[in-house]
Amino acid sequence: MGMITRKLRQRWQHWINRRVPRGDSQTFSQKNIFILPTGAGVVFGVLLLIMLITGINYQNSLIYLLTFILGALFVGAMHQTHRNLSGLTLALIQPGEGEAGDDVPFRFRVTAGKDSGLAIALSVVDSKLEGVHVPAGQARDVILPIPSAHRGYLRPDKVRIETRFPFGLLKAWSWLRPSSAGIAYPRPLVAPEVISQVDDGSEARSSAPVAGQDNADLRPWREGDMSQRVMWKRFARSGQMVVADWEGEQGSPHWLDFNAFPGADTELRLSYLAWLVADRLQKGAKFGLNLPGEVIEPDTGPIHGDRCLRALAVWGEKPPREQDALPFGTRKTVDGATAGGSV
Amino acid sequence: MSRLVDVLLGRSRRSEVPIDAIPGAALLWLIGSFALLLLPQWNRLPWWLIAACVVLAGWRWLAQSGRVRLPGRWLRTGIMLVLIGVYLGTVQGRFTVDTAASFFVLAVGLKWLETRSARDFYVLFFILVYLAAVNFLFQQDILWALLTFAAIACLLVGLQVLNAPDLPGSLKAGWKRLGLLMVKTLPVVVLLFVFFPRMAPLWSVPLVSGEARSGISDTMRPGDISNLAQSSERAFRVSFGGPIPEYRDRYWRGLILDYLDGETWRQRDREPFQRPGRVAVDGGIGALASNQYDVLLEPTDQRWAFSLENSIAVSDNVFDAGEDLFRFRRPADSPVRYRLAIDPGQTRPGSELTQAVRQRYLQLPGEGNPRARALASELAGQYSPAQVVNELMQRFRNEEYYYTLRPPAMPNDGVDTLLFEEQRGFCAHYAGAATFVFRAAGIPSRVVVGYQGGDAGAGGDYLIVRQYDAHAWVEVWLEGRGWVRVDPTAAIAPDRIEFGLREAMAEEGSFLENNLTSPQRYGDLAVLQWASLQLDRINYHWQRWVVGYQGQSQMNLMSRLPGGIGMKELGYITAGLVGFALLVAGLVSALSMTRGARQDGFRRVVGSWHRLCEQAGVPVRSGETPVVLAERMAEARPSVAESARIFARTVNSHYYSSASTRQADDDTRRLRRLLKTMKRQLKRNQETGSRMPKHD
Repeated sequence: MGMITRKLRQRWQHWINRRVPRGDSQTFSQKNIFILPTGAGVVFGVLLLIMLITGINYQNSLIYLLTFILGALFVGAMHQTHRNLSGLTLALIQPGEGEAGDDVPFRFRVTAGKDSGLAIALSVVDSKLEGVHVPAGQARDVILPIPSAHRGYLRPDKVRIETRFPFGLLKAWSWLRPSSAGIAYPRPLVAPEVISQVDDGSEARSSAPVAGQDNADLRPWREGDMSQRVMWKRFARSGQMVVADWEGEQGSPHWLDFNAFPGADTELRLSYLAWLVADRLQKGAKFGLNLPGEVIEPDTGPIHGDRCLRALAVWGEKPPREQDALPFGTRKTVDGATAGGSV
Repeated sequence: MSRLVDVLLGRSRRSEVPIDAIPGAALLWLIGSFALLLLPQWNRLPWWLIAACVVLAGWRWLAQSGRVRLPGRWLRTGIMLVLIGVYLGTVQGRFTVDTAASFFVLAVGLKWLETRSARDFYVLFFILVYLAAVNFLFQQDILWALLTFAAIACLLVGLQVLNAPDLPGSLKAGWKRLGLLMVKTLPVVVLLFVFFPRMAPLWSVPLVSGEARSGISDTMRPGDISNLAQSSERAFRVSFGGPIPEYRDRYWRGLILDYLDGETWRQRDREPFQRPGRVAVDGGIGALASNQYDVLLEPTDQRWAFSLENSIAVSDNVFDAGEDLFRFRRPADSPVRYRLAIDPGQTRPGSELTQAVRQRYLQLPGEGNPRARALASELAGQYSPAQVVNELMQRFRNEEYYYTLRPPAMPNDGVDTLLFEEQRGFCAHYAGAATFVFRAAGIPSRVVVGYQGGDAGAGGDYLIVRQYDAHAWVEVWLEGRGWVRVDPTAAIAPDRIEFGLREAMAEEGSFLENNLTSPQRYGDLAVLQWASLQLDRINYHWQRWVVGYQGQSQMNLMSRLPGGIGMKELGYITAGLVGFALLVAGLVSALSMTRGARQDGFRRVVGSWHRLCEQAGVPVRSGETPVVLAERMAEARPSVAESARIFARTVNSHYYSSASTRQADDDTRRLRRLLKTMKRQLKRNQETGSRMPKHD
């Protein structure tokens, strides 16, 4: 039994996926809009039947008339509800970033075609946004919080778009299957104060490109470098902007090191590092990040901070592939982890 | 103590759905619709029920604005029990459709107190829709019907408000949307109404209401019919195949009262009991023959059908009950149409009365009214029966008898008082007194109750007979002539018989004096008369063609269409219609989709761009922004670098601006041009090797 239902469900999924190809933008049409009566719609149908029987039994023409009017309106409403979605384009324009476990805001754009899209709801499993109205030919940006379960890439498999307008007796719905993923940073945990300086660390990997060479490392100027660190004399001489990265000196940058927490497991280390990044950022200190396989040179400022957090978030994670049918990093992944190995 | 107050006032600790889960505007439409739906029932429902409904709905409305709280569970239960108790006390065990409908209204009223969530809103929506259907059981006039349909429209607007509460300008748009939807679906509704097979009732439930309807009854005390004369309600309407009979010949016989019980005339034989059931509400197929007439009777809850003298039944919902009277097979609990024909050649059965029948029509109480009896034996001693009748009529004509709507009370020996002292009375007084005298004189006679007269409706194509046309007269048995109609009123007040009650009462000024709201009362206001008659005409056709469109009317209409259409064919037609309507709806949306397909032009051109990149050896990665892709393309194929960047910028601006349709079209055209340029550049680049091409 269970196998048959699973097979059927797979078939169904497959059928839907063919109609709703993965992509950050989806225009809804006949092909991929689904429409069914809501619970209220079913009750309404039963009510019409009862009214018809009443009309027959009392030979009451006006009850017949009322029944036919309401029945025809029901069919008309089907058309109306369908039109509410058809021609509409839903696009994921900015996947969000946030801490793991939080609701990460994803920015979507709803663009109406030649008909208005009224009372539209966007939803994923644990989150819902209602009452989006887009007049014909216009667009609205909306933010749907996507609940994240853990650190890494965050991509809901399907974002459901639904409308029950005008009467709530029918619902038309479809999905967007975004290909872009947002990012959930590791949840910060207060780290024990072991600040590794990369050149101190006995286990520090010698492969780290900037580690333990000269006390001053010269490199070309990059955007974001502080002007007091530009070697202006050299600039006057040669016209080249060169920046000195000082090492081993007073006020030299601290390294936040993945290997500084022996015994802690990977996720815990990343959480410590995330806290440290936030902490350094708040203090305005200069810091670099040393992860196995990835090193971010010391710097300050929010852009640098975001870069570090992103590196922490996706370290060791593979970006979701097109074909993956399952959600990434949402709570559904955790709850339904047994459903099938995707990563 | 405060706990108790809390519970009663609904401050329960349980987290209930907040009261404002339903938008106020939607609730207001729902309440408005409820008010409209109660109106058609105002004279049927007990007053306390209407008051309760107003209070309960008002309570809910005040709660919406936060001025009061909705009652807690205990108070709610208490209110419910009290109201149901009052209801049970009112109905006293009668179970009819009428009491059931009242209970339904009560249920709607109680539901207001627990309307919190959208789900409750839908529950109320459903029961209000059904309440509209219930209304149609009791009121089918066109104005009431329009009111009920207006209430349904309010409900549907309320639903729209519920589903998009924060949409600006939603109300106007909602009405417009609903109107458009109605107009679009109208053809289907009309076709369904015409073709849906009108089946026989699946089971029969009588629709007899407990309330007394105004109209003649099967007993007659002297003052009875003068009460009816104060009502201008319609009794029935008649259309004739041939010319409309003269006013004085419009005697509509309803029933015969042949037994005098003290002061009261009644039927000796009770009407036989009939199993409750539904009257067949329409009768008569095709155009009227010249001697036929159609009667559209307002509900009376009785089985009497009114007919002219010498009629025979044509439609099969009435049958000849003997004595030139007609009966329905079931009480007329809703408007009934039936058809009769006048057959002057018809001989009345029984040129001789049997002894038993003769006794029956000579019955009198053992004592009372000695002077009337003396007069009768005096007349009988001198004249033949026909002459006795003439003599009495002469007496009415020549002496000072008055026809009045304000007769004095005549408690003892009423006939004597009327004939010899007061000499003032209404038709019931005179008919009763005359029959008394005839019987005392040994002439078989009986009181006939029905209507006399009827005014032409607008356009003059039918007659309207109203309650104030109710009348009583006498029939006497004369050897060789059978039953002969004798009307004392014609002798006393010929105007009544020639022109109607209004003329007869012109001097007295008592015509409809107690009925201030009746348009008929203000006969001198021509505009009012005209409007009232026009409305009646509309209603008549509404009744005749819409409300009365039932089995036989449908078969009649179908028989005029080519190809014998029966019940089965109607079923097929209906099924076909529903299928056809769905198909049309599908086609329309498909067509509108193809028209909307230009939206996809943009996607197509982006798709070709991706293909071009792949061909050029630049794989498209998912989630890559257009700019990144263009940069990679530019790196791989410097010849198209500039065009690729412009392309990417255009795609971006298309995504990131809420562009109008026209601008979207412009974008698409521009992208297509760029794409063509790039293809050309790539090609030229391949041909000429390293030469740098110029850009467009």
